[in-house]
Amino acid sequence: MNFIIIVIISAVMQLFMPWWIVAVVPFAVYFWRPGNSPFLASFAAIAFVWLAYGFYLHLISDGAMSNRIAEILSLSNGYILLLVTALIGGLVGGLSGLSGFLIKGLLPGRLPHASSRN
Amino acid sequence: MAKALISLLATITLVYILNRPLGPAPALGPFLSPFTGIWQNGEKPVDPESEEVLKLDSLKKDVVIRYDDTGVPHIFAENDFDLYYAQGYVTAKDRLWQMDLQTRAASGRLSEILGKATLEIDLQSRRLGMGYGAEANLKLAMSDPRSREALLGYTAGVNAYIRQLSSRDYPVEFKLLGYKPERWEPINTMYMLEQMTLNLAGRSNEVNMSNVLEKYGKEITDQLFPDYPMLQESPVIPAGTKWDFKKLLIPAATSASRFSDSLSDYKKPENSLPEREPEIEGIGSNNWAIGAEKSITGYPVLANDPHLDLSLPSIWYQVQLHAPETNVYGVSLPGIPAVIIGFNKDIAWGVTNVDADVFDLYKIRFKDDTRNFYWYENQWKPTRKREELIYVKGEKEPVREEIVYTHHGPVTDSDNTSGKFPTLAVKWIGHEPGNTFLTFYELNKSRNYDDYRKAMTYFVGPAQNFVFADNSKNIAITVSGKLPLKYKDQGKFVLDGSKAADDWQGWIPAGQNPFVKNPQRGFVSSANQSSTDPSYPYYINWVFSPSERAIRINERLSAMSKANADSLRKLQNDNYNVTARTILPELLHILNTAALTPSQKASLITLANWDYQNDPESIAASIFEEWMPALRSAIWNDEFSAAGKPLELPSRDRTMYLVLKQPGEKWFDNVNTPEKETLPDIAFSSFKAALDTLNNRHGAMSPSWQWSKVKATEIRHLSRSLKPFNAPPLTTGGGSSVVNATTKRHGPSWRMVVELGPEPKAYGIYPGGQSGNPGSPYYMNMLKKWENGELNELVFLSSPDRSDSRLTKCLTLHKK
Repeated sequence: MNFIIIVIISAVMQLFMPWWIVAVVPFAVYFWRPGNSPFLASFAAIAFVWLAYGFYLHLISDGAMSNRIAEILSLSNGYILLLVTALIGGLVGGLSGLSGFLIKGLLPGRLPHASSRN
Repeated sequence: MAKALISLLATITLVYILNRPLGPAPALGPFLSPFTGIWQNGEKPVDPESEEVLKLDSLKKDVVIRYDDTGVPHIFAENDFDLYYAQGYVTAKDRLWQMDLQTRAASGRLSEILGKATLEIDLQSRRLGMGYGAEANLKLAMSDPRSREALLGYTAGVNAYIRQLSSRDYPVEFKLLGYKPERWEPINTMYMLEQMTLNLAGRSNEVNMSNVLEKYGKEITDQLFPDYPMLQESPVIPAGTKWDFKKLLIPAATSASRFSDSLSDYKKPENSLPEREPEIEGIGSNNWAIGAEKSITGYPVLANDPHLDLSLPSIWYQVQLHAPETNVYGVSLPGIPAVIIGFNKDIAWGVTNVDADVFDLYKIRFKDDTRNFYWYENQWKPTRKREELIYVKGEKEPVREEIVYTHHGPVTDSDNTSGKFPTLAVKWIGHEPGNTFLTFYELNKSRNYDDYRKAMTYFVGPAQNFVFADNSKNIAITVSGKLPLKYKDQGKFVLDGSKAADDWQGWIPAGQNPFVKNPQRGFVSSANQSSTDPSYPYYINWVFSPSERAIRINERLSAMSKANADSLRKLQNDNYNVTARTILPELLHILNTAALTPSQKASLITLANWDYQNDPESIAASIFEEWMPALRSAIWNDEFSAAGKPLELPSRDRTMYLVLKQPGEKWFDNVNTPEKETLPDIAFSSFKAALDTLNNRHGAMSPSWQWSKVKATEIRHLSRSLKPFNAPPLTTGGGSSVVNATTKRHGPSWRMVVELGPEPKAYGIYPGGQSGNPGSPYYMNMLKKWENGELNELVFLSSPDRSDSRLTKCLTLHKK
């Protein structure tokens, strides 16, 4: 469930916020409603958004820009660049979700229930 | 507790690192995010049906912009301000980073974004006084209502585009370098004009010539460096044209001064201009117009192909500008309002560079190291100082340099003989205040020959041969630009900065600049060669570009009849090598073939069977083009090289004259060997050396020696370092002394042919595309056709609602 919430909220917010909003949304979501596998779910959610949108942009432009940037970065093609992009976005999202979850756990009276919800 | 803090700290650290530039690399977070980064820079093909309406500030009325299928905007406005506003807007939309980079290069501000690496380049711009010139020009431009309106409109349009950008929309180069576009200012246009003046009229060879004079004396210098080609020439203004004007008094010549300093240590002072590269043959251009009697249409046909540095994005941007008094189509320079080369309903025009000597050096004697005074007309005259501040990325304090100005100009060049400071003042047309922009503004609106001649009077520099044709069946060419009134050979050698007699003595009146209208021969043409034959009463320069392109063009045009646009297109792509025709038969005749190895003989046979065409697949062309420079070096390098004292080499024409008419001269002997070499010896050794070079670089003679592969024309991205943004390898013929002047990195940057008539019919192409975005389908959509020597038919609209099958997107700029 948190996966879907992060996907939707982060996708919408990234349309008008700076890129680092992907470090805020998973944190907030897991702070608000701690759930299972905070790292993995957050990682997957942000990576999925970046992968899907990046793939769409790559496709409609026939890779005209992404393939060239990949070459500048000594990567073999735009798809590898897409994977690197998703990995970096995922890492930020994952750590952020995990932090939200753990910080929430520090609050008094929350720790015992945290992992049982959702 | 610890876990939570570690996790939080890791998150913050990661975001912090990703949000910061890593050395030269951009900050990875915003760079890679598909929402803000480079993924946003890929463009999908334009929907031909799309219509877009933008609400913009400060427009007076609505503007309609129709795009065609090659990506060219056709702008329809109701007044000048809106017209140039829209031009600024669409140009910025396609070429913003190019505009930013070129302005920075011209104004010496590259280091702000690129750091220390470009400091020397910036210093060079400052030492040349680019800012000094641009500021003087801006004052004049803002004082004339026509240029003022155009500059303010253009500026507002560029800024309207920049203002509505969010960081995700920035051109990819801004993202790669991690900086933001800044506000456009009217002075940027002046910087762009300065940059053109620098590229086309920003060099001199008088230090090298003075060194020659010092080493060999006047007689030999005169023999080897004549003021007019000795072997062959075909001047811009046909020989025999009458000069029916009352000429001004020519200033009296002073004797060439000698400044040689016996204690000199031949060291360049640190803060002087670097050694300038010799003029690159290949920067130049062709233009011509044939009269009605030579065309099949019964009207003149005009052609132009300016040869410049080839780059992506291209230096040119196509546009049609339509307003109540204007309807013009052609190419513009991003950063400058109006069309530079083009046509309207009634006239067409084009330009080539004039190699006028408008860059002179004056030897200055300072009173002392404070450089507050210099010696002039027997007294100490005060200098002026201008401080230049260069901000460097990554450094808090700007680099400061104080530039000393005399009445000649900035004292920043050096003849390698001075001590602590440079002692040569630069007198340059780029410092001369003028309103060159008006020439283009008026040409855009010209209806006839008189309008054209009037437009010519505004032109300051870099001097250009303006070719002209109209639908009243006139053709003409004017050597246009402010030309200093000089005594003969003034500025061939370093001048004496202390004598008023060596100053520029005013100007040749614009009406007396060389020009010709409807000449007997039925055509006008230019290819950077000598402006006139020696009968012209004023001195323009002692050396121009070599004559071979002009000779070929004039031969072909003389023979032409019933020509149409395609005949002229073919001539633009002509690969015939006049240099080879001139000298190769003699060289082959004197070559000692007995001493050649079998493989060298095979190469010789290939060369002997050559049709003198520099075609892409020609192997003979490669051998010849390798041999000629080798021969020229073998003749001159032994006598004309000296450590610390660069010497000018005699021209190609003079070299060919020596080979053909003076084969017994001492110059063929290599003074560095005990033997006495003759012309046949040198021809033989340089032939073998040329073959060895080809062998070393391309293996044994095979298709890998084909001219297109040896020449290897390449078109690089403006950054020169982002290889994936370059064009793919090209297969082209041509050469530096060939009409199709395509060399490794220079060539026809725009080819245009216009058939005048009741309705003009025009064709054009440049090697690239309208968009500067490497992720756009319009980045190099015209490249293949250019490579094949083809032209696009240009869409010339009379109204915004005209339907044309080639029109695509419609953009309306709506007054807010």
